[in-house]
Amino acid sequence: MSLFGWLGLLSPGALWAFAILPALLGAYLARERPRQATVSSVLALRALHVMRGQRFGGRPRLAWTFFLELLALAIAALATAGPYVLSRGAPIAVVLDNSAAMEALIPAGKTRFEAAVGAVDDALRESDGGAVTVYTTAPQPRALGAALDGAAAARAAIAHARPVDAPDDPAALATLLGQLNADGRLGRIIYAGYRPIAAPAPARFRQIAIADPIPNYAIGRFTLSRETFGAAELHASLTVANLSPAPATLKVALEGDGKPLGTEQAQAAAGATATLDFPRLPAANVYRAELAPADGFMLDNAAYATGSSVKPVALLFVSPTPADGASLAGIPGIAVTARTPDQYTPRDVAACDVAIFEYAAPKELPAVNALLVMPPPGDPVFGLSAAAAPHVEIANWPAVNPLTDGVNFRLLNIRSGEYFGVHPWLDPVVSGPGGGLLLSGVRGGHRYIVAGFNPFPYLGRGNLPMSILTLNLLSELAGLGAHAGGYRTGEAWIVPAGVTRIVTPAGDRAPVTAGALYTASAQGVYQLAGASGAPVLRAVNLSDLSVSDLQNAPPIAIAPAPRVAAPGGSAVHQPLAPYLLAAILGLIVFESLFVYRRRRAMA
Amino acid sequence: MLGLPEEFTADFIARLEQLRIKTRREYAGVGKGAHLSPRRGSSLEFSDFRHYSEGDDFRYIDWGLYGRTDKLYIKLFKEEEDLLTYIFIDASASMGYPERDRKFASAIAIALALAYVALAAGDRVMIRVLAGKGAMPPPAFVYGRHRIVELGKTLAGVKPGGELDLAAALARELISIRRAGKVFVISDFLMMPNAAERALGLFNAANMDVTAVQVLGGGELDGQGLNGDVEAVDAESGERVRLSMGPRERARYREALLRLSREIRVFCFRNGLHYALYTTDASFQDFFLRAASEFGLAH
Repeated sequence: MSLFGWLGLLSPGALWAFAILPALLGAYLARERPRQATVSSVLALRALHVMRGQRFGGRPRLAWTFFLELLALAIAALATAGPYVLSRGAPIAVVLDNSAAMEALIPAGKTRFEAAVGAVDDALRESDGGAVTVYTTAPQPRALGAALDGAAAARAAIAHARPVDAPDDPAALATLLGQLNADGRLGRIIYAGYRPIAAPAPARFRQIAIADPIPNYAIGRFTLSRETFGAAELHASLTVANLSPAPATLKVALEGDGKPLGTEQAQAAAGATATLDFPRLPAANVYRAELAPADGFMLDNAAYATGSSVKPVALLFVSPTPADGASLAGIPGIAVTARTPDQYTPRDVAACDVAIFEYAAPKELPAVNALLVMPPPGDPVFGLSAAAAPHVEIANWPAVNPLTDGVNFRLLNIRSGEYFGVHPWLDPVVSGPGGGLLLSGVRGGHRYIVAGFNPFPYLGRGNLPMSILTLNLLSELAGLGAHAGGYRTGEAWIVPAGVTRIVTPAGDRAPVTAGALYTASAQGVYQLAGASGAPVLRAVNLSDLSVSDLQNAPPIAIAPAPRVAAPGGSAVHQPLAPYLLAAILGLIVFESLFVYRRRRAMA
Repeated sequence: MLGLPEEFTADFIARLEQLRIKTRREYAGVGKGAHLSPRRGSSLEFSDFRHYSEGDDFRYIDWGLYGRTDKLYIKLFKEEEDLLTYIFIDASASMGYPERDRKFASAIAIALALAYVALAAGDRVMIRVLAGKGAMPPPAFVYGRHRIVELGKTLAGVKPGGELDLAAALARELISIRRAGKVFVISDFLMMPNAAERALGLFNAANMDVTAVQVLGGGELDGQGLNGDVEAVDAESGERVRLSMGPRERARYREALLRLSREIRVFCFRNGLHYALYTTDASFQDFFLRAASEFGLAH
């Protein structure tokens, strides 16, 4: 409710509280005003009159302290009505880059993010009091709540913002800035980040570029694999980059579960990368690599990997004929759990590393790497179109691929199978004249392979190419031969089945729902815990050398957009309740001091 | 009874008829009466001698003195006349409070009792009401005990009210009095002691025989109605006093009232005035008959 155009009340109904004041005043006076009694003469009472003032009550003490308290009550009643002052100003959008690159230290001794916050704070102090919407950029651009009433509220919100370890999305950021540029209501757009805006910057943009080139050394990829399939020893491979203008010797110290495991180093030219290998590593839960020399961007000086693959590979075999999985149990380092399709539930995948569906298909996308062998037709989850072939002929396969590595396809004798048609996200690895025979793809952070033939009957029966192909498939699915860098900050994963909470590297516990997406914004090791069993460790790294390159920040091109309308003023509610409460406290303190001093004087 | 206050029972009236007003001085009356007058008269009370002159009554020649001095002397005797009695009633507002104490009604009852004593003794009575509201009795002497009914009816119509400066009011009354006599002043005397003394001293200086009758309420003395936090309003001046009354304060208040009363009593005794204090919680008849001597009455 607006009272005078510039003053309003959020809860005008609360003004009924003012009705209490006359009642209080009446009660006070009734209590304080003595009963009147007409007497024949007050002559004899005058002597008693001097006793007044030494007694409590009775006398109507309309002292100023009473009116002070009445004023405090009136202010409190007004405060409950939520008074505010309307101020009009052009809306402002603030885009604050909180991506990982903003964690880099600048020569001034503070991080890019702290410098950006300070610069935005200064810029907002000069604003004219319009509504302010604050956006952050990482992991994806988003608004920090609704539009804030005035610069002061925006500054308070920005003061609570924190950078994340995730990289920004340049395309999404450009889209956001373009949308803001097209919003004619905005009077000003403040962008503070390490990426400059490509010239010419729109007129309403105020760019706060924190983009001083910073020399940096970074760990890129950090992968673990078995030395050999089924062996306990691991092999670590790291990519290091020299993102500085001078050549440097990059040294990586590796430790497992806190114990030093070794050190490797490489000479890298300016702008070059090098690969460091750590062979025959003992089993550990968490491996941590530390890069030297240290620099101003600590985030990419460390990387993590988990040794969960050291454990025996838990393989879930779902088939109408579970006995087919018996041949898999003979492979060292593999534990097979067999289920019929009727017995299978999505919760079964929580305890396995790889799921194999033979002549069967899950009713939902399994949250684990999975191999589907000749799935039944009409499967709605994968939506495969298959054509049966009495004699399968292999025509194409890649020369360099982990799945086909070491397989002599000319000797691979497959009697029958089925060809798959074109699939949206499963790419053919091995194909024949009728279509794909072996499809591979990644979905939701998990690898899925679909085979149009059944390799298991031939496993260990003298069919060496089929055995090698089977081991390649299992290595790919179990991550033993993975060449990817694992999980990266800012990427969303599907919460595996059976997981009910995730403990972040900072120790925060977040309840999660299996099957939902979870975005890990911080670098480190996450614990995926369920109702039972030990938590599963998952390493998340920045692993993005484009972010680590602090010397070259690609500018953001903002598409020019016609102004829809002239920037208009927006009404900003400046709440008065905090000031009123402060006034009440001041009155109480003032009265307390007065009473205290008076009592001391009387004492 | 006959429009008189209820205290005037037949027995009480009979007891009143046995009383008469006794003055400390002799006052000239306006007619034959029972009080010795400074005038020569025919009473049995010897007054003086004088030389015989032609025409004197032989019966008053003192033959014994003639035998010793060989001269004729006539014995003179005092005259017995009636007494002019003035009764002044304070009808100011203070006499109306506390209402439950009926101070003014008691004052009227005392005035009527005194008047009846006087009328029954053949004296003349003039009742004057100071301040108050209603029809006032005329400023004239009444004579004869039957006039008490008329006085009673007249006084019954008077209500207390207004502010009264007793000394000034009595001074105005004194101007209109032609002959001295017995004066009764009935009031609560709730005023500064010097004001009461000035009022009573006026008549004393005018050679009047004065009796001060102080009427205080029983509850008034106990401070009834003054409990807790109270704002006392003076019935006459409107002055307000705010106070907290407890047992201790009420005791101090009673003590202050009695001290005021005591000062008036001491003044009266020192100046040869009669003084009587009546508190309304006491029996009126018992008080009047028992305190007759304090009133200046005699059997």
